[in-house]
Amino acid sequence: MVKLEHKKARLVLRLGDLKLEWAIERRYWRNPLIAVSCLLVLPLLISGRADLVSLLTMASIYACIAIPLTWQITGTSRMNFGPQLFVGVGGFTAGLLGIHAGLGPWQTLPIVILVSLACALLLSPLTIIAKGLYFSLITLLLPLIFLEITYYRSDIFRGETGISGIPHLFDLGSISLNYITGCYFSIALALLFLFIVDKVMRSRLGLYAAAINDNEDVANAVGLNTNRYKVVTFCITSEMIGIAGWLMAHYYGTFAGVTYLPLIFMIKILLMVMIGGRGQLYGAVVGAYFVAFLEYFLTGIGPVHYVVFPLILLILLFILPEGLYGLYRKHRYREYYPTIKVRRKEI
Amino acid sequence: MLLKVDNVTKTFGGVHAVRNVSFSINKGETVGLIGPNGAGKTTLLNVIVGTYKADSGKIELDGNDITTKPPYKICHLGISRTYQLPQAFWDLTAIANVAVAGLCGKHRPDMSYGDAMLEASHCLELVGLFGKRNILARDLTLYELRTLGLARALATTPRLVLIDEAMAGLNPGEALRAVKLIRRLKEEYHLTIFWIEHIMKIIMEAADRVVVLNYGEKIAEGPPKEVINNPTVVEAYLGKKHA
Amino acid sequence: MIGTMGMVGVYAFVLGSLYLLMSLGFSLICGVLRVFHLGYGLIFVMAVYVTWMFMENFGLGLIPAIASMCVVQCLFTLLVIYLPIVKRYIEKEELLLTSLLLVAIIIEEAANYVYPVTAGVDIPTTIVPGSIKIGAASIPNQMLIAAGIAILTTAMFIIFFLKSRSGLLMRAVSQDVRSAKLMGTSTERVYIYAMMLSIIPPTICILVMVPFWSIEPYLGWPLLHTAILVAILGGLGNLRGSIIAAYILGLIAATVSFLIDPSLVPLVSLLVVVLILIFRPQGISRSESLW
Ligand SMILES: Nc1ncnc2c1ncn2[C@@H]1O[C@H](COP(=O)(O)OP(=O)(O)O)[C@@H](O)[C@H]1O
Ligand SMILES: [Mg+2]
Repeated sequence: MVKLEHKKARLVLRLGDLKLEWAIERRYWRNPLIAVSCLLVLPLLISGRADLVSLLTMASIYACIAIPLTWQITGTSRMNFGPQLFVGVGGFTAGLLGIHAGLGPWQTLPIVILVSLACALLLSPLTIIAKGLYFSLITLLLPLIFLEITYYRSDIFRGETGISGIPHLFDLGSISLNYITGCYFSIALALLFLFIVDKVMRSRLGLYAAAINDNEDVANAVGLNTNRYKVVTFCITSEMIGIAGWLMAHYYGTFAGVTYLPLIFMIKILLMVMIGGRGQLYGAVVGAYFVAFLEYFLTGIGPVHYVVFPLILLILLFILPEGLYGLYRKHRYREYYPTIKVRRKEI
Repeated sequence: MLLKVDNVTKTFGGVHAVRNVSFSINKGETVGLIGPNGAGKTTLLNVIVGTYKADSGKIELDGNDITTKPPYKICHLGISRTYQLPQAFWDLTAIANVAVAGLCGKHRPDMSYGDAMLEASHCLELVGLFGKRNILARDLTLYELRTLGLARALATTPRLVLIDEAMAGLNPGEALRAVKLIRRLKEEYHLTIFWIEHIMKIIMEAADRVVVLNYGEKIAEGPPKEVINNPTVVEAYLGKKHA
Repeated sequence: MIGTMGMVGVYAFVLGSLYLLMSLGFSLICGVLRVFHLGYGLIFVMAVYVTWMFMENFGLGLIPAIASMCVVQCLFTLLVIYLPIVKRYIEKEELLLTSLLLVAIIIEEAANYVYPVTAGVDIPTTIVPGSIKIGAASIPNQMLIAAGIAILTTAMFIIFFLKSRSGLLMRAVSQDVRSAKLMGTSTERVYIYAMMLSIIPPTICILVMVPFWSIEPYLGWPLLHTAILVAILGGLGNLRGSIIAAYILGLIAATVSFLIDPSLVPLVSLLVVVLILIFRPQGISRSESLW
């Protein structure tokens, strides 16, 4: 039985046992609405410029990586310095299946999900055995090792050039139409991830994540199975990052280890999270679009942008103690503010 | 018999923090654990709740072996604790601190977030912290943190509460309030309490039975009156010449 | 078979010594400051490219160029790494690590901008040219010399820590910052001192390795990997553990590259380190002190 009620500024939908609630107060809806409609209109406005569409897609995919990463940082209470590993896993799985088995994007997706899940499960014990800096260092090294492998088995991974000829996400006849649809798809995926993670962070799981992030020992002592929670969080978030890799491979039709696995790519993701808002979910989204656009507009100044881009990020890191999102949230009521932990005392 | 500690030993490197300690706690009792600083009281508590693994010996709850169980399982079985140095989720509000315990402390996946919050406010009210429910734990005073610890322990619906030096660092007035609070909670919730205390006087009034630890070994056990006159105990506390 | 074994042995020794030298500075910072210097790679990059800059653009000879480079390195470490970053963020590691990584990236990109890979760098630091035949195959003399220098440098560091007053202070700080502070040690001075000392091994290392190493602006990262692996395996900043760890990794590298495939070395080393971590989370030696 479906029942829709309107109670004190919230809309409640009952579907049998399932109860869905939305707050309909303006202050909750205004900003997300503005942001979402901007994202929906923007691709149409820039549809004439293929490079801008591609940039917007890229930024959305960055957001698809940064969003789960913030959950991971909070929920495992560890700083992952190698999230791009799963971009690589997802992208290469999709790419290799695409060119060798001739599978389309929708057929590779379930396999990507399975492969990412397998890798995540394999690595998830790290969240239990490796604490603080150990975890950060091992995760820092893993993608670089993967990069070495792509060179070592160049026959498979095409180390230098990357895999090309991966089936495109959409085949609607015209290239520009494909790009626009791809762009919308990436935005939709980013919004979906945002919606999921936001829901999680507001639920009891979010409370658990905050508790683990804050004080793992107490969380365990009050009855939370921290190990299980950390493993599950790590797997789900890695999975989401893997899907971002899948999208990348199918959107561009090419996938190269040298683009996504090196440190500089990781630094970009990390800085989205840090400059955006030090681990805040919405900050990460802001950060993703900001960093992507900054990098793009800097390429205009010639090859020196390789130096200027990290320099600007370094300066921003210095002058924004709470990130870009902190500028906006400063005077508001503060919800849980995750701490990014690379703990010193546990060396 | 609720809890039975049998020949438990725990060493750190070469240090015997707890050595061959055995005792038991009956339902509804208040058992005190006293001993000088560094006697191994906190270590014993940590071994019971599973934070440290005992090197040897056995711990039973209701006749079930819990020696090797992880802390969260032991919590589900009904043992909860407070900390000597207050611990909390520092960046969470007081009510969220207690709500986490309420949600995790027992196998109740059906409990909703809202119910947990309600229950948490109830627990906070019991310890007199309701007015501070929306304050971050890091901004609470020491006394408030100790009561928050009690509220958190309570929210996990324990049968046995292990209290680690609830008075340490409190002024006499606050200490008195804390003692009263613990006794009231015990009455209202039919708790069994295992109470570690450094100060003899408080434990003498509150406990039905006292276990004395010195250098990791149990040197005496019995009703407070007996224990306080036991020459070994006096010696451990005050040095040889008073014995 | 015996020939191969001999080769593996010799290379294990040489590589182990080189790994030791590469990671010495990193372990030192790790032991004293208790932080990871993720920008460690930039010391190598600067050692090569600043020397090259002085030789190419200022027309200095090799020795004066190296001397000027050392001055630049020290100033850079003090003015760019220590004061604005390490000192400020020592308690906030996420910021510390990210900023250090960013600085390293800025330096290497700057090096790449000024001296692109194609430009080539030629620093003549070969001490004994040619190569020597040991058993079945040969090994470049420079490599043996480098190994010798590595052992010498390490020995000097150890003597310094054991015998000198400053070495003692550093060990005190590495054991317990708080009580060292209570005893009136200026931790800041010790930190600066340690940062300065940590420049020496990587600089020597890359200079003697120039003849047989591929020199490019991004050379810092693989060296940083090695340093990290040695540090993790050795117990995060314990020099005794680091020495053992360096030779273990040297043995792994030699064995894998002779018996299987050189490109598998990083993978196998990492796997071994992760495996050891599972069974001995504190590494070979516990990190309670520097020595
Ligand atoms: N984690 C630990 N590592 C090493 N030694 C410890 C540890 N915890 C406690 N100890 C040692 O065990 C002994 C007992 O400590 P503790 O149980 O805290 O005493 P108490 O609570 O009775 O004051 C002390 O000598 C202390 O130094
Ligand atoms: Mg104690």
